[in-house]
Amino acid sequence: MDRFTRRSFLTTSGGAALAVAAPAIIRPGWAADSVKLGCLFSSSGTMANIEGRLNYVVRMAADEINAKGGVNGRQITVSTSDPASDWPLYAQIGRQMLQQDKVAALFGCWTSVSRKSVLPVVEQNDGLLFYPLHFEGEENSKNIVYVNSPPTSSVLPAVDYLMGGEGVGAKRFFMIGSDYVWPRTINKQLKAYWKGKGIAETAWREEYVPLGFSNFQTLVNQVRAFAAQPGGQPIVVLTVVGSSIPDFLREFANQGIRATDIPILGLDMVEADLEGLDTAPLVGHLNCWAYLQAAKGERNQTFLKAWADYVKAKNVPFKGDVVIDPMVSAYDSVHLWALAAAKAGTFDVPEVRKAFAGLSFDDPSGYTLKMTAENNYVSRGVFIGSVNEKQGFDVLWQSPDAPKPVPFGI
Amino acid sequence: MKVAIGALLALLLWTGAASADALDRGAFAAALCGDAASLGNAAEAVTGRAADLSAEDLAWAAQPLRGILERRLVCLGTSAILLDRPGAGEGRSVVSGDPQPAAGARASVLGLRQRALVETADGVLALLTAPQVDVRAAGLRAAERRIAAVPDGVFARAEAAETDAGLKAAIASVAEAAALTSPDPQRRLAAIARVAGAPSSNALSRLSALKADAAYAADPAFRTALDAGIARVERAVAIGNGLAILYNGLSFASILFMAAAGLAIIFGLMGVINLAQGEFIMIGAYATYGVQEALRIVAPAWLDLYLILAIPVAFLATALVGITIEALVPRHLYRRPLMSLLATWAVSLFLINLVRVAFGTRNLQFTMPSYVSGGVALYADFVVTWNRLFAIGFAAGTLVLTLLILRATPLGLNIRAVTQNRDMAGCLGIPTRQVDRLAFGFGSGLAGLAGVALAPIYSVNPQMGATFIIDSFMVVVLGGVGTVMGTLVAALGVGQINVLIEPFYGAVAAKVIVLVGIILFLQWRPEGLVAARRRR
Repeated sequence: MDRFTRRSFLTTSGGAALAVAAPAIIRPGWAADSVKLGCLFSSSGTMANIEGRLNYVVRMAADEINAKGGVNGRQITVSTSDPASDWPLYAQIGRQMLQQDKVAALFGCWTSVSRKSVLPVVEQNDGLLFYPLHFEGEENSKNIVYVNSPPTSSVLPAVDYLMGGEGVGAKRFFMIGSDYVWPRTINKQLKAYWKGKGIAETAWREEYVPLGFSNFQTLVNQVRAFAAQPGGQPIVVLTVVGSSIPDFLREFANQGIRATDIPILGLDMVEADLEGLDTAPLVGHLNCWAYLQAAKGERNQTFLKAWADYVKAKNVPFKGDVVIDPMVSAYDSVHLWALAAAKAGTFDVPEVRKAFAGLSFDDPSGYTLKMTAENNYVSRGVFIGSVNEKQGFDVLWQSPDAPKPVPFGI
Repeated sequence: MKVAIGALLALLLWTGAASADALDRGAFAAALCGDAASLGNAAEAVTGRAADLSAEDLAWAAQPLRGILERRLVCLGTSAILLDRPGAGEGRSVVSGDPQPAAGARASVLGLRQRALVETADGVLALLTAPQVDVRAAGLRAAERRIAAVPDGVFARAEAAETDAGLKAAIASVAEAAALTSPDPQRRLAAIARVAGAPSSNALSRLSALKADAAYAADPAFRTALDAGIARVERAVAIGNGLAILYNGLSFASILFMAAAGLAIIFGLMGVINLAQGEFIMIGAYATYGVQEALRIVAPAWLDLYLILAIPVAFLATALVGITIEALVPRHLYRRPLMSLLATWAVSLFLINLVRVAFGTRNLQFTMPSYVSGGVALYADFVVTWNRLFAIGFAAGTLVLTLLILRATPLGLNIRAVTQNRDMAGCLGIPTRQVDRLAFGFGSGLAGLAGVALAPIYSVNPQMGATFIIDSFMVVVLGGVGTVMGTLVAALGVGQINVLIEPFYGAVAAKVIVLVGIILFLQWRPEGLVAARRRR
């Protein structure tokens, strides 16, 4: 090996620094006299397949608003970035967007750990982050708009459904999650919920895998062994994220387990996770969201068509016929922000925040989204979906109206 | 509306009670078009009466039930219409068989409870009425899945009517196993023996449940038989679990080995830490996708063979990419290992982004041929999944190929010579530069082969390579730099230990423990498991 000279050290470390910094370069969309929005969605790393498409939805919603004359007389431009599924990078880019690019609001994050890392940044800079994912609750920042549902209005209705007679009368629970804050918190809340119902601790089991894990043989063997024990109908509560979801489903089906034997409730499972899978042996597994592509109604049809057209017109590298809840939530986010900014007559964050109270928006899910002065949560409908043969979900159950979101405590 | 369905349901259940009666077809069809509960009850009721309904009624009821599962049954109000294919505009009325337009009709979504009931009913009716042997056999399997819900007489009736000798025996054995709770003690003993003869953890819990039975305390013969049966099943389940651990470890090891084999050659020969190796795997998987898409256009009938046809294509494609990259980047950096590490990292980022721009970030859609989907329960709870077996076989093939090339060809001789002493090999007239290039191509090609084998197991997207690079380095360093056998032993060890630890400490801890173990091992034996003989 060569001697380590100072010069070679400087060139290598400089090169390394450049390579690390490269993904952080932001691609702004410039336009004079416009108002800027920033996106924090990864287009590389383990979350890329599902997060990447949200950038385009935000752009589409902005185009829609621009076509109607913009907000407060100004056109919207959208800056996108690539935090590369690297949680601290979300905070770094978020700070850059707020301080240097002076964006009026941020739209971003999928995993809770990325939201938690952006949280101090938006609080210090008094920015706004619209967060489009359903999540574990237990958080209430005035700088984050929680556009999707906390557990009380997403996970619990689904678990209740499975435990009830209409579902499978589930008595025992095998929880499998990726090892980070969202699965751990959700599972903690579920355990507390079951304890409150008088279910014994022996009725559940909890396992975690590293992010991006894919070797699920041993775990699926354990699920089968767990299911064979007496004590009532078992279900799997799946909180793995990213590419682990299809890998788990594939192994589950290959080992010959059907939804009618052991149903999976996939809390982060969306239509996009089924792309590339043969779903015939997976029919019947469940998920729960505030929107499903199969939602009925004119507004959903309009949205689906708008997305398909947008994909074709802009040559978007995602499927035009697949729409997932976070896409709709990101779309709702932009509209909610525009409504609030128009109501406030300014883009000042404190004014916009005040304008949230009493806001309502008819979104593609068919429900009317509402916000109150109480907090930055948004009330959404609840859907329980069931996997079908065509790599999609059928609506198995949906709530009669949009329940009031409860941030804390189950 | 609700009242009407309730009345229909009551009628249906009432006819159920008077078992000699024929099926009320109108009420049955209407119940299928009622709410979820009425649909489930109708399916359950028809299963319950399957032993004594007339063959015509059963054959008739089998049609709409199969239609529900295939999404061919739609409802207009309470009138059920059976379509020829899902989404057709016109079908036939279930009750009368007359053509009926289906515009505006709704297809019901099955809840899990209803799906189980309908599948069981469909299986039972198929077993009793289907004209084809394989459909009847499939029906038997469906009925066996929920054996407790199937009434006694069904198997007797099916066995009596069965013409195929093999299936007849299969029905008899299922029927024998179904009699666990029969009032006849002789039949119960036979059932215990039968259930214990097909051991699984399900069988174990079925037998264990009998310990609470009154006969267990009262009848010593029953107790001995049951205890013996349970012991037998427990032993089989333990053996099955042992086999499963071995298989899981072997499968993980095969993946590790394939990812690491190419790296071992490149690293061993040139000392180049090739961080782009994972991306070569990704390129191999994308080449497999290319072969699939090409076959879809050129010869759709041969589509199932794309995995086999992709073997040479992926190997050559990745080898070509490898040789090109070698000529462009690491060639200039052979004397500077740190630089070559950074340069290959840059290559890996470049390849990821190139593929991302060209194909997008989404998971690629592979059609899974039957030889890599599903699995077979081999012994007790031990399931052999075909995609993993494919990977294991593939890894074995790769191993043989690699050893043959290294040990039995002039190229292999040259590679070994250059690995052991580059300068001396050069003095003896071996074109070391050319050997480098070919070996780099060969190593990349092996990574491409790994891509073919991994396509049925993992999601294929631009990032997939990153998953393997750390694991494969771990294996190469542990095995001893530059030896294929060392890599093999290390892969087997790491795979097996990982799988052994996982059930006790979880997947996260398993990774940490293995990593710490390797670090400690390398402290003690820095040259790895198998040290290559070399003079520098």
